Amino acid sequence: MSEREFHSFVKQLLDGDITIADLPAELRSEGEEALRLLAAVDRRPVQLDGLTARVMAQIAEHPKRKFWRRVLQPREFRVRVRPWLMVPALAAAAALVLWIGRSGPPSSPASPALVTVRFVLSAPDAHEVSVAGTFNQWNADATPLVRTDAGVWTATLTLPAGEHQYAFVVDGVRWVPDPAAPAVDDGFGRRNSVLTL
Amino acid sequence: MLLAFALPLALLLQQAPIADRLRGRVSPEIAALATELGTAAAARGLPLDPLIQKAIEGNAKGVPADRVAAAMRLVVSQLDASHTALRGSPALAADTVAVAAGAFALNAGLKDGDVAALSRSVADAPASDVIVGLRVAGTLVALGVPPAETVNLVQATLKAGRPAGELLGLPGQIQAQVAKGTPPAQAAAGLARAAAAQSRRGPPPGRGQPPARPGPPPHP
Repeated sequence: MSEREFHSFVKQLLDGDITIADLPAELRSEGEEALRLLAAVDRRPVQLDGLTARVMAQIAEHPKRKFWRRVLQPREFRVRVRPWLMVPALAAAAALVLWIGRSGPPSSPASPALVTVRFVLSAPDAHEVSVAGTFNQWNADATPLVRTDAGVWTATLTLPAGEHQYAFVVDGVRWVPDPAAPAVDDGFGRRNSVLTL
Repeated sequence: MLLAFALPLALLLQQAPIADRLRGRVSPEIAALATELGTAAAARGLPLDPLIQKAIEGNAKGVPADRVAAAMRLVVSQLDASHTALRGSPALAADTVAVAAGAFALNAGLKDGDVAALSRSVADAPASDVIVGLRVAGTLVALGVPPAETVNLVQATLKAGRPAGELLGLPGQIQAQVAKGTPPAQAAAGLARAAAAQSRRGPPPGRGQPPARPGPPPHP
Protein backbone atom coordinates (compact mmCIF):
# COMPACT_ATOMS: atom_id res chain seq x y z
CA MET A 1 0.00 0.00 0.00
CA SER A 2 1.35 3.40 -0.99
CA GLU A 3 0.65 6.62 0.78
CA ARG A 4 -0.13 9.86 -0.97
CA GLU A 5 0.25 13.27 0.55
CA PHE A 6 -2.50 15.68 -0.56
CA HIS A 7 -2.15 19.43 -0.72
CA SER A 8 -3.33 21.23 2.39
CA PHE A 9 -6.22 22.83 0.44
CA VAL A 10 -7.33 19.35 -0.68
CA LYS A 11 -7.23 18.22 2.97
CA GLN A 12 -9.51 21.13 3.83
CA LEU A 13 -11.82 19.96 1.05
CA LEU A 14 -11.91 16.46 2.52
CA ASP A 15 -12.63 17.90 5.95
CA GLY A 16 -15.60 19.80 4.49
CA ASP A 17 -14.12 23.19 5.24
CA ILE A 18 -14.20 24.27 1.58
CA THR A 19 -15.89 23.14 -1.64
CA ILE A 20 -14.28 21.97 -4.90
CA ALA A 21 -15.10 25.36 -6.37
CA ASP A 22 -12.94 27.05 -3.79
CA LEU A 23 -9.84 25.16 -4.92
CA PRO A 24 -7.41 26.78 -7.35
CA ALA A 25 -7.73 25.40 -10.85
CA GLU A 26 -4.48 23.46 -10.69
CA LEU A 27 -5.64 21.58 -7.59
CA ARG A 28 -9.14 20.67 -8.75
CA SER A 29 -8.15 17.38 -10.41
CA GLU A 30 -6.32 16.38 -7.20
CA GLY A 31 -9.37 17.38 -5.18
CA GLU A 32 -11.68 15.32 -7.37
CA GLU A 33 -9.41 12.29 -7.04
CA ALA A 34 -9.36 12.68 -3.26
CA LEU A 35 -13.15 12.86 -3.17
CA ARG A 36 -13.36 9.71 -5.31
CA LEU A 37 -11.11 7.84 -2.93
CA LEU A 38 -13.15 9.00 0.03
CA ALA A 39 -16.36 7.86 -1.61
CA ALA A 40 -14.88 4.46 -2.27
CA VAL A 41 -14.40 3.79 1.40
CA ASP A 42 -16.87 1.22 2.75
CA ARG A 43 -18.66 2.97 5.59
CA ARG A 44 -21.09 0.28 6.52
CA PRO A 45 -21.17 -0.55 10.21
CA VAL A 46 -18.82 -3.41 11.10
CA GLN A 47 -20.56 -6.42 12.61
CA LEU A 48 -18.45 -8.67 14.81
CA ASP A 49 -20.18 -11.75 16.18
CA GLY A 50 -20.39 -11.76 19.99
CA LEU A 51 -18.46 -8.52 20.39
CA THR A 52 -21.14 -6.88 22.50
CA ALA A 53 -21.33 -9.88 24.79
CA ARG A 54 -17.55 -9.96 25.23
CA VAL A 55 -17.33 -6.25 25.94
CA MET A 56 -20.15 -6.45 28.49
CA ALA A 57 -18.45 -9.41 30.14
CA GLN A 58 -15.26 -7.41 30.51
CA ILE A 59 -17.13 -4.47 31.98
CA ALA A 60 -19.07 -6.72 34.36
CA GLU A 61 -15.91 -8.36 35.76
CA HIS A 62 -15.29 -7.43 39.41
CA PRO A 63 -12.64 -4.67 39.59
CA LYS A 64 -10.66 -6.39 42.38
CA ARG A 65 -10.54 -9.69 40.51
CA LYS A 66 -9.49 -7.87 37.41
CA PHE A 67 -6.73 -6.08 39.34
CA TRP A 68 -5.31 -9.27 40.82
CA ARG A 69 -5.52 -11.02 37.47
CA ARG A 70 -3.50 -8.21 35.92
CA VAL A 71 -0.97 -8.27 38.75
CA LEU A 72 -0.52 -12.02 38.91
CA GLN A 73 -0.75 -12.86 35.25
CA PRO A 74 2.71 -13.74 33.97
CA ARG A 75 3.82 -11.46 31.24
CA GLU A 76 6.97 -10.93 29.31
CA PHE A 77 8.71 -7.60 29.16
CA ARG A 78 12.03 -6.57 27.80
CA VAL A 79 14.41 -3.98 29.14
CA ARG A 80 16.81 -2.30 26.77
CA VAL A 81 19.75 -0.69 28.54
CA ARG A 82 21.65 2.09 26.86
CA PRO A 83 25.31 1.82 27.93
CA TRP A 84 25.67 5.57 28.52
CA LEU A 85 22.75 5.37 30.99
CA MET A 86 24.64 2.89 33.21
CA VAL A 87 26.90 5.58 34.71
CA PRO A 88 24.14 7.86 36.06
CA ALA A 89 22.11 4.78 37.08
CA LEU A 90 25.02 3.39 39.11
CA ALA A 91 25.66 6.81 40.64
CA ALA A 92 22.01 7.14 41.62
CA ALA A 93 22.02 3.61 43.08
CA ALA A 94 25.13 4.41 45.13
CA ALA A 95 23.49 7.61 46.38
CA LEU A 96 20.39 5.63 47.35
CA VAL A 97 22.50 3.06 49.21
CA LEU A 98 24.37 5.79 51.09
CA TRP A 99 21.10 7.51 51.93
CA ILE A 100 19.68 4.22 53.25
CA GLY A 101 22.85 3.78 55.29
CA ARG A 102 22.54 7.28 56.76
CA SER A 103 18.93 6.72 57.73
CA GLY A 104 19.63 3.32 59.30
CA PRO A 105 19.07 2.32 62.91
CA PRO A 106 19.90 5.15 65.26
CA SER A 107 22.64 4.59 67.75
CA SER A 108 23.28 6.39 70.98
CA PRO A 109 26.07 8.84 71.71
CA ALA A 110 28.10 9.18 68.54
CA SER A 111 31.13 10.40 70.47
CA PRO A 112 30.91 8.94 73.97
CA ALA A 113 32.71 10.55 76.88
CA LEU A 114 36.19 9.33 77.74
CA VAL A 115 37.07 7.93 81.14
CA THR A 116 40.54 7.27 82.51
CA VAL A 117 40.95 3.83 84.06
CA ARG A 118 43.87 2.20 85.89
CA PHE A 119 44.40 -1.52 85.45
CA VAL A 120 46.24 -3.33 88.22
CA LEU A 121 47.35 -6.96 88.55
CA SER A 122 49.50 -8.47 91.24
CA ALA A 123 51.72 -11.05 89.53
CA PRO A 124 55.12 -11.18 91.21
CA ASP A 125 56.30 -14.16 89.16
CA ALA A 126 55.31 -12.79 85.76
CA HIS A 127 57.90 -11.60 83.27
CA GLU A 128 55.47 -9.56 81.24
CA VAL A 129 51.82 -8.62 81.57
CA SER A 130 49.50 -6.88 79.14
CA VAL A 131 45.81 -6.16 78.96
CA ALA A 132 43.73 -7.11 75.94
CA GLY A 133 40.07 -6.46 75.38
CA THR A 134 37.34 -5.00 73.28
CA PHE A 135 39.01 -1.59 73.51
CA ASN A 136 42.19 -2.71 71.72
CA GLN A 137 40.83 -5.44 69.44
CA TRP A 138 42.06 -8.11 71.86
CA ASN A 139 45.62 -7.34 70.86
CA ALA A 140 47.87 -8.87 73.52
CA ASP A 141 50.82 -6.71 72.42
CA ALA A 142 49.04 -3.37 72.31
CA THR A 143 48.86 -2.46 75.99
CA PRO A 144 51.68 -3.71 78.20
CA LEU A 145 51.52 -3.13 81.95
CA VAL A 146 54.45 -1.67 83.87
CA ARG A 147 55.91 -3.58 86.81
CA THR A 148 56.42 -1.85 90.15
CA ASP A 149 58.80 -2.99 92.88
CA ALA A 150 56.20 -5.06 94.70
CA GLY A 151 55.40 -7.24 91.71
CA VAL A 152 52.31 -5.20 90.92
CA TRP A 153 51.67 -4.48 87.25
CA THR A 154 49.74 -1.37 86.22
CA ALA A 155 48.56 0.49 83.13
CA THR A 156 46.42 3.60 82.80
CA LEU A 157 44.13 3.92 79.80
CA THR A 158 41.55 6.43 78.63
CA LEU A 159 38.53 4.57 77.30
CA PRO A 160 35.20 5.60 75.82
CA ALA A 161 32.16 5.30 78.09
CA GLY A 162 30.36 2.01 77.63
CA GLU A 163 30.80 -1.64 78.43
CA HIS A 164 34.21 -3.21 77.88
CA GLN A 165 35.44 -6.77 78.33
CA TYR A 166 39.07 -7.63 78.89
CA ALA A 167 41.62 -10.01 80.37
CA PHE A 168 45.24 -9.81 81.41
CA VAL A 169 47.76 -11.73 79.34
CA VAL A 170 50.58 -13.06 81.50
CA ASP A 171 53.87 -13.92 79.82
CA GLY A 172 52.17 -13.76 76.43
CA VAL A 173 50.28 -17.02 76.82
CA ARG A 174 48.11 -17.08 79.94
CA TRP A 175 44.79 -15.23 79.80
CA VAL A 176 43.80 -14.22 83.31
CA PRO A 177 40.59 -12.40 84.37
CA ASP A 178 40.96 -9.39 86.64
CA PRO A 179 40.42 -10.75 90.18
CA ALA A 180 39.09 -7.35 91.29
CA ALA A 181 36.42 -6.98 88.60
CA PRO A 182 33.13 -8.70 87.75
CA ALA A 183 33.42 -11.35 85.04
CA VAL A 184 31.23 -13.03 82.45
CA ASP A 185 31.49 -16.20 80.36
CA ASP A 186 33.63 -15.56 77.29
CA GLY A 187 31.99 -18.33 75.25
CA PHE A 188 35.24 -20.29 75.12
CA GLY A 189 35.10 -21.81 78.59
CA ARG A 190 36.93 -18.94 80.26
CA ARG A 191 35.94 -15.64 81.90
CA ASN A 192 36.23 -12.08 80.68
CA SER A 193 36.39 -9.21 83.13
CA VAL A 194 33.81 -6.48 82.70
CA LEU A 195 34.29 -2.75 82.92
CA THR A 196 31.19 -0.54 82.68
CA LEU A 197 31.94 3.16 82.32
CA MET B 1 16.55 -0.33 37.47
CA LEU B 2 17.71 1.80 40.40
CA LEU B 3 16.70 -0.92 42.86
CA ALA B 4 18.35 -3.59 40.74
CA PHE B 5 21.67 -1.82 41.35
CA ALA B 6 20.95 -0.53 44.86
CA LEU B 7 20.15 -3.83 46.55
CA PRO B 8 23.34 -5.70 45.61
CA LEU B 9 25.35 -2.57 46.38
CA ALA B 10 23.77 -2.29 49.83
CA LEU B 11 24.60 -5.93 50.51
CA LEU B 12 28.19 -5.40 49.42
CA LEU B 13 28.51 -2.29 51.60
CA GLN B 14 27.26 -4.24 54.62
CA GLN B 15 29.73 -7.05 54.01
CA ALA B 16 32.71 -4.80 53.36
CA PRO B 17 33.15 -3.46 56.92
CA ILE B 18 33.05 -6.99 58.35
CA ALA B 19 35.68 -8.26 55.94
CA ASP B 20 37.81 -5.14 56.44
CA ARG B 21 37.78 -5.40 60.23
CA LEU B 22 38.61 -9.09 60.20
CA ARG B 23 41.28 -9.03 57.51
CA GLY B 24 44.52 -10.43 58.92
CA ARG B 25 42.96 -10.98 62.35
CA VAL B 26 41.10 -14.24 61.87
CA SER B 27 41.28 -17.25 59.58
CA PRO B 28 39.50 -17.02 56.22
CA GLU B 29 37.06 -19.66 57.48
CA ILE B 30 36.03 -17.57 60.49
CA ALA B 31 35.97 -14.39 58.40
CA ALA B 32 33.58 -16.04 55.94
CA LEU B 33 31.30 -17.21 58.74
CA ALA B 34 31.37 -13.79 60.41
CA THR B 35 30.47 -12.15 57.11
CA GLU B 36 27.60 -14.56 56.57
CA LEU B 37 26.24 -14.22 60.12
CA GLY B 38 26.89 -10.48 60.25
CA THR B 39 25.18 -9.70 56.96
CA ALA B 40 22.07 -11.59 58.06
CA ALA B 41 22.20 -10.01 61.53
CA ALA B 42 22.50 -6.49 60.12
CA ALA B 43 19.50 -7.13 57.92
CA ARG B 44 17.54 -7.90 61.10
CA GLY B 45 18.69 -4.63 62.68
CA LEU B 46 21.29 -6.20 64.98
CA PRO B 47 24.67 -4.63 65.76
CA LEU B 48 27.77 -6.11 64.14
CA ASP B 49 30.39 -5.15 66.69
CA PRO B 50 29.79 -7.92 69.28
CA LEU B 51 30.04 -10.56 66.56
CA ILE B 52 33.23 -9.12 65.09
CA GLN B 53 34.75 -8.74 68.57
CA LYS B 54 34.00 -12.37 69.40
CA ALA B 55 35.71 -13.57 66.21
CA ILE B 56 38.80 -11.48 66.96
CA GLU B 57 38.81 -12.52 70.63
CA GLY B 58 38.66 -16.21 69.70
CA ASN B 59 41.59 -15.88 67.35
CA ALA B 60 43.63 -13.86 69.87
CA LYS B 61 43.08 -16.50 72.54
CA GLY B 62 44.07 -19.31 70.18
CA VAL B 63 40.66 -20.97 70.34
CA PRO B 64 39.96 -23.70 67.73
CA ALA B 65 37.81 -22.52 64.81
CA ASP B 66 34.84 -24.74 65.66
CA ARG B 67 34.58 -23.24 69.14
CA VAL B 68 34.91 -19.72 67.79
CA ALA B 69 32.11 -20.49 65.35
CA ALA B 70 29.91 -21.77 68.19
CA ALA B 71 30.64 -18.68 70.29
CA MET B 72 29.80 -16.41 67.34
CA ARG B 73 26.47 -18.17 66.84
CA LEU B 74 25.76 -17.76 70.55
CA VAL B 75 26.46 -14.02 70.29
CA VAL B 76 23.99 -13.71 67.41
CA SER B 77 21.34 -15.66 69.32
CA GLN B 78 21.78 -13.35 72.33
CA LEU B 79 21.50 -10.29 70.08
CA ASP B 80 18.31 -11.72 68.59
CA ALA B 81 16.93 -12.43 72.06
CA SER B 82 17.80 -8.92 73.20
CA HIS B 83 16.18 -7.40 70.12
CA THR B 84 13.02 -9.37 70.80
CA ALA B 85 13.01 -8.48 74.50
CA LEU B 86 13.29 -4.77 73.69
CA ARG B 87 10.33 -4.75 71.30
CA GLY B 88 8.13 -3.35 74.05
CA SER B 89 10.10 -0.15 73.59
CA PRO B 90 10.40 0.41 69.83
CA ALA B 91 12.99 3.18 70.20
CA LEU B 92 15.30 0.84 72.11
CA ALA B 93 14.68 -2.11 69.78
CA ALA B 94 15.76 0.08 66.87
CA ASP B 95 18.92 1.23 68.66
CA THR B 96 21.85 -1.10 67.99
CA VAL B 97 23.66 0.14 71.11
CA ALA B 98 20.64 -0.81 73.23
CA VAL B 99 20.43 -4.22 71.56
CA ALA B 100 24.12 -4.83 72.32
CA ALA B 101 23.61 -3.72 75.93
CA GLY B 102 20.68 -6.12 76.28
CA ALA B 103 22.74 -8.97 74.81
CA PHE B 104 25.52 -8.25 77.31
CA ALA B 105 22.98 -8.39 80.16
CA LEU B 106 21.68 -11.72 78.86
CA ASN B 107 25.20 -13.12 78.60
CA ALA B 108 25.86 -12.01 82.17
CA GLY B 109 22.89 -14.01 83.42
CA LEU B 110 19.71 -11.96 83.10
CA LYS B 111 16.68 -13.57 81.42
CA ASP B 112 14.77 -12.21 78.43
CA GLY B 113 11.96 -11.13 80.74
CA ASP B 114 14.40 -9.17 82.91
CA VAL B 115 15.67 -7.23 79.90
CA ALA B 116 12.11 -6.58 78.75
CA ALA B 117 11.13 -5.42 82.25
CA LEU B 118 14.09 -3.04 82.45
CA SER B 119 13.32 -1.57 79.05
CA ARG B 120 9.67 -0.95 79.96
CA SER B 121 10.13 0.00 83.57
CA VAL B 122 10.62 3.72 83.19
CA ALA B 123 8.59 5.10 80.35
CA ASP B 124 9.88 8.65 80.65
CA ALA B 125 13.55 7.79 81.22
CA PRO B 126 15.89 8.80 78.39
CA ALA B 127 16.91 5.88 76.17
CA SER B 128 20.55 6.56 77.03
CA ASP B 129 19.80 6.02 80.75
CA VAL B 130 18.01 2.75 80.04
CA ILE B 131 20.99 1.59 77.99
CA VAL B 132 23.30 2.38 80.90
CA GLY B 133 20.80 0.56 83.13
CA LEU B 134 21.04 -2.56 80.98
CA ARG B 135 24.85 -2.50 81.09
CA VAL B 136 24.89 -1.90 84.83
CA ALA B 137 22.36 -4.71 85.34
CA GLY B 138 24.65 -7.11 83.49
CA THR B 139 27.59 -5.95 85.58
CA LEU B 140 25.66 -6.43 88.84
CA VAL B 141 24.71 -9.98 87.86
CA ALA B 142 28.36 -10.60 87.00
CA LEU B 143 29.17 -9.48 90.56
CA GLY B 144 26.83 -12.12 91.95
CA VAL B 145 23.68 -10.08 92.53
CA PRO B 146 20.66 -12.29 91.69
CA PRO B 147 18.62 -11.17 88.64
CA ALA B 148 15.50 -10.24 90.65
CA GLU B 149 17.44 -7.95 93.02
CA THR B 150 19.37 -6.55 90.06
CA VAL B 151 16.20 -5.58 88.20
CA ASN B 152 14.69 -4.07 91.35
CA LEU B 153 17.77 -1.98 92.05
CA VAL B 154 18.18 -0.65 88.50
CA GLN B 155 14.46 0.08 88.17
CA ALA B 156 14.38 1.88 91.52
CA THR B 157 17.40 3.97 90.58
CA LEU B 158 15.94 4.89 87.19
CA LYS B 159 12.57 5.74 88.76
CA ALA B 160 14.29 7.95 91.33
CA GLY B 161 15.42 10.10 88.43
CA ARG B 162 19.07 9.76 89.38
CA PRO B 163 21.63 10.71 86.71
CA ALA B 164 23.29 7.96 84.69
CA GLY B 165 26.48 8.55 86.65
CA GLU B 166 24.80 7.21 89.77
CA LEU B 167 23.72 4.08 87.92
CA LEU B 168 27.34 3.54 86.93
CA GLY B 169 28.36 3.84 90.55
CA LEU B 170 26.15 0.93 91.66
CA PRO B 171 28.63 -1.91 90.92
CA GLY B 172 31.29 -0.09 92.96
CA GLN B 173 28.88 0.35 95.86
CA ILE B 174 27.95 -3.35 95.76
CA GLN B 175 31.63 -4.34 95.62
CA ALA B 176 32.37 -2.11 98.62
CA GLN B 177 29.60 -3.70 100.69
CA VAL B 178 30.52 -7.23 99.60
CA ALA B 179 34.10 -6.48 100.68
CA LYS B 180 32.70 -5.74 104.14
CA GLY B 181 30.94 -9.11 104.22
CA THR B 182 27.45 -8.20 103.01
CA PRO B 183 25.96 -10.76 100.57
CA PRO B 184 25.44 -9.26 97.08
CA ALA B 185 21.65 -9.76 97.17
CA GLN B 186 21.37 -8.00 100.52
CA ALA B 187 23.58 -5.15 99.39
CA ALA B 188 21.47 -4.66 96.27
CA ALA B 189 18.22 -4.78 98.25
CA GLY B 190 19.50 -2.09 100.60
CA LEU B 191 20.48 0.20 97.75
CA ALA B 192 17.11 -0.41 96.06
CA ARG B 193 15.28 0.60 99.25
CA ALA B 194 17.32 3.79 99.44
CA ALA B 195 16.56 4.60 95.80
CA ALA B 196 12.85 3.93 96.32
CA ALA B 197 12.84 6.28 99.31
CA GLN B 198 14.53 8.91 97.16
CA SER B 199 11.87 8.33 94.50
CA ARG B 200 9.08 8.95 97.06
CA ARG B 201 10.71 12.20 98.17
CA GLY B 202 10.84 13.41 94.56
CA PRO B 203 13.60 13.99 92.05
CA PRO B 204 16.86 15.34 93.36
CA PRO B 205 17.77 18.94 92.70
CA GLY B 206 19.34 19.53 89.34
CA ARG B 207 17.20 16.97 87.51
CA GLY B 208 17.09 17.98 83.90
CA GLN B 209 20.71 19.05 83.91
CA PRO B 210 23.11 16.97 81.82
CA PRO B 211 24.22 13.99 83.89
CA ALA B 212 27.72 14.38 85.26
CA ARG B 213 30.19 11.70 84.30
CA PRO B 214 31.90 10.03 87.22
CA GLY B 215 35.53 10.72 87.84
CA PRO B 216 38.17 8.11 87.13
CA PRO B 217 37.37 4.96 89.08
CA PRO B 218 40.15 3.85 91.40
CA HIS B 219 40.25 0.49 89.68
CA PRO B 220 38.00 -1.45 87.32
